[in-house]
Amino acid sequence: MKTLFTELEFHQLRKATENTPGDAFMMQKDAQSGRLIAVLSDGLGSGVKANILANMTARMAIRFAESNTGFLHYAKIIMNALPVCRVRKIAYATFTVIDCRHDGTVQIVEQGSPPFILLRGGVPLDIPCTEYGNNTPQDYRKLRVYHFTAQPEDRILFFSDGVTEAGMGSHRYPLGWRRQGCAEFIQARVAENKGLSARKAAEAIVHEAVCKEPGQRACDDISCAVLYFRTPRRTLLASGPPFSESADAEYAELIRSFDGTKIISGGTSADIVARELKRPIHTELFRFRKSALPPVSSMTGIDLVTEGILTLTAVLNLLEGNKHYTQVNAATLLAERLRDSDEIHLLVGTKINQAHQDPSLPIELEIRRSLMRRIATTLEERYFKEVKLEFI
Amino acid sequence: MKKTTVTICTGTTCYIMGASHLQRLDEVLDPALLEQVEIVGSRCLGYCDANGHGKAPFVKVDDQLIADATLDKVLAQIRKTLAKGAL
Repeated sequence: MKTLFTELEFHQLRKATENTPGDAFMMQKDAQSGRLIAVLSDGLGSGVKANILANMTARMAIRFAESNTGFLHYAKIIMNALPVCRVRKIAYATFTVIDCRHDGTVQIVEQGSPPFILLRGGVPLDIPCTEYGNNTPQDYRKLRVYHFTAQPEDRILFFSDGVTEAGMGSHRYPLGWRRQGCAEFIQARVAENKGLSARKAAEAIVHEAVCKEPGQRACDDISCAVLYFRTPRRTLLASGPPFSESADAEYAELIRSFDGTKIISGGTSADIVARELKRPIHTELFRFRKSALPPVSSMTGIDLVTEGILTLTAVLNLLEGNKHYTQVNAATLLAERLRDSDEIHLLVGTKINQAHQDPSLPIELEIRRSLMRRIATTLEERYFKEVKLEFI
Repeated sequence: MKKTTVTICTGTTCYIMGASHLQRLDEVLDPALLEQVEIVGSRCLGYCDANGHGKAPFVKVDDQLIADATLDKVLAQIRKTLAKGAL
């Protein structure tokens, strides 16, 4: 189990008439223990009120789960802590708490949310649950608790009722898409693409759900999270020439022998590798010509070759969510590769390009070393990637 | 007939100093001339980092280096090179 990587991704569409989603998703990973906790909560109603309920619930649940408080105890505290809705006279938010340990043991606690789907070997598998709660009309709270050990290639999908109830009342889906419809959909998608990432799976489910809604406008918040236990996908991103030319051969060999996706960001770095490995390199001048970023190049055995500083700056902005491109370019390709990877090795050449220090340049170019450090931090903290930063 | 090679440097410095506009060369080149040239992109040619070559962006028309290149300068050099070749 130690070799498995847990890819956890979330996608959401808010109710079409609201400006704020009423579902909240939170996750945290303990770098030391490898424990991963994620919560999805759906607040009563929609809009700001639901958002507050959902966020309060998710935050409390994640803290309680982290502190190993018993779920029966914390579920009660959460319910008693939520403000009571003036209209409905109840305080309510559903939640699903996924608690995954490094050894692969998983505990899932659900309160009011649709039951999660476990896809094992690409097929939905029902896991027995224990139910808690007195199930009386006075008490609307009922907990379902599941324990199991994850297997390689398992996918856990959990979602708000916006997914299962999508299209409800329509001729085709009188009772909504339902959990069964969602399970069949994702089973078919995984059959087409065995390596379907958690991110793409979550996006596909949300997209499919909204397509079932009248006029394709979400009638409720539609949220889906996917946790995928997969064999780590490894990527090497090399950028910058080595400090000493005597390390050029070692640099090229590190890249050549890497087992995984290989990316070079930097023209001079790419030329060094091409020279050392005696491989032809070709710049695709007219591909992405309107992209406002330098073109990509191609070299046998290397998955992506881009320019350095400008492209990496754009990649950092993309990863931080500060920038969006409507068209594919070198940076979107690179960011996509990084997001689809689990273990990322950043190999940073430390030779300073004197031309970049010229004060007459129209824009300020960041120092490669600090740029790569910031990319590493973002990949670790925002995307939970395992990152190794090496300077040469 | 051997074509004249126009090499546009797309290294970081050249790109921000104007090479991004030079990528439009094929759009502004007369179709009759376009048939006689091959436009290629290049990683950093190294001129920006060495003294004595002038300012970026750099373009080469065959072996002739153009510093501080603009579309007009490149077009003029292409015509000159082709005219010389026609003699």
